[in-house]
Amino acid sequence: MKTDTTPFFVGYFKVPKKLRKFLLSAGILLVACLTVFGLLIGSTQDDPGNGAFRFDYGRQTVTGVIENLPYPLLHVTEGNDRIKAGETLMLAAGGKMGVMARTSGFSGQQIVASGVLLERGDLNMLQLRGGRQGLRMAEGDGTEMIWEPPVSEPLGRWRIAGEICDGKCLAGAMRPGRGLAHKACANLCLIGDIPPVFVSSQPIEGTEYLMVVDKDGGPLPKAAYDYVAQFISLEGEIERHGDILVLKMDADTIEVLP
Amino acid sequence: MNSAELLFAITQYWLIIGGVVAALFLVVGIDRIDEDARGAYVFRPLLIPGILLIWPIVLWRWWSLESGSYDPESRYKPVRAAHKVIALGMFIAVVGITSIGLSVRQQWPADYVPQKLSEPVEASE
Repeated sequence: MKTDTTPFFVGYFKVPKKLRKFLLSAGILLVACLTVFGLLIGSTQDDPGNGAFRFDYGRQTVTGVIENLPYPLLHVTEGNDRIKAGETLMLAAGGKMGVMARTSGFSGQQIVASGVLLERGDLNMLQLRGGRQGLRMAEGDGTEMIWEPPVSEPLGRWRIAGEICDGKCLAGAMRPGRGLAHKACANLCLIGDIPPVFVSSQPIEGTEYLMVVDKDGGPLPKAAYDYVAQFISLEGEIERHGDILVLKMDADTIEVLP
Repeated sequence: MNSAELLFAITQYWLIIGGVVAALFLVVGIDRIDEDARGAYVFRPLLIPGILLIWPIVLWRWWSLESGSYDPESRYKPVRAAHKVIALGMFIAVVGITSIGLSVRQQWPADYVPQKLSEPVEASE
């Protein structure tokens, strides 16, 4: 009977002589290929930018007026060292939750908001603390508590290109907070009423970030969810509310870019 | 129905069919094809999660054992002969899929200039 002398690898035995060179070469080649492959894939990814939670600023407490669009904006009337009076902040709760339900009773009223700031360039968002610690009426006899939000300034109808993101991850809750890899997270945030933000290919009236609402002023239209995180062009009316631009998007005009 | 709803619907129907298969197999089928399982019941609920996921394989195996078309020696046939081809195929697939994915990836429209189509219709109050 002929004996089969083909070397056979068994992990807990000494490596057969004939297999040593092959195993060593295959091991080195595998590690080298994976390293190069990883570096190549990494080099194709976009820079996540400098958006971040600003825990280093500490807890921020400001007074301001709520404007529900329906996503709430806070027009700051009494700021602090970091957030100046006159600035406009988007608001969110912890996790993937917005604060539309919490702010609905405060429309046009002077409130005190407290939380952590998220910052990316000129895009600012305040993640509110829970309950009354995060949002409460400003103290006073009530007569000076009713404020009119700043007058909105219509800027006309535009056709713009870019990407619909969720405002919280984009502002710094996630890195990266945009792009296809982030689409599922973005849609969950948007379903949770986090304010959507359109990132424009080029600045419009000085900013590339626009809060997005439906063309009739309602929340983000359902038709937009399929296009979140894709590069698209669309039309819509743009208005300035405080120092934030609001895009009233026309979902019928969406075109996916090549 | 958008993409997410379609995925949810497919998952839902898959699990519903899996539930029906699990009920039939654990009540009727398992006794017919596995004599060691006869009279043993406590372990059967433990199989439910697995059957929910791989119910087509459960049905195929049930059918092949019932019909006698299953060759019990087939599981001992050596598979090493195919390793080289499969390894090469996986390498080509990984590189190919990655390359195709990168080549069809959208490009950020950095050159797209926002166009103002019309002036505001009326001043906001």
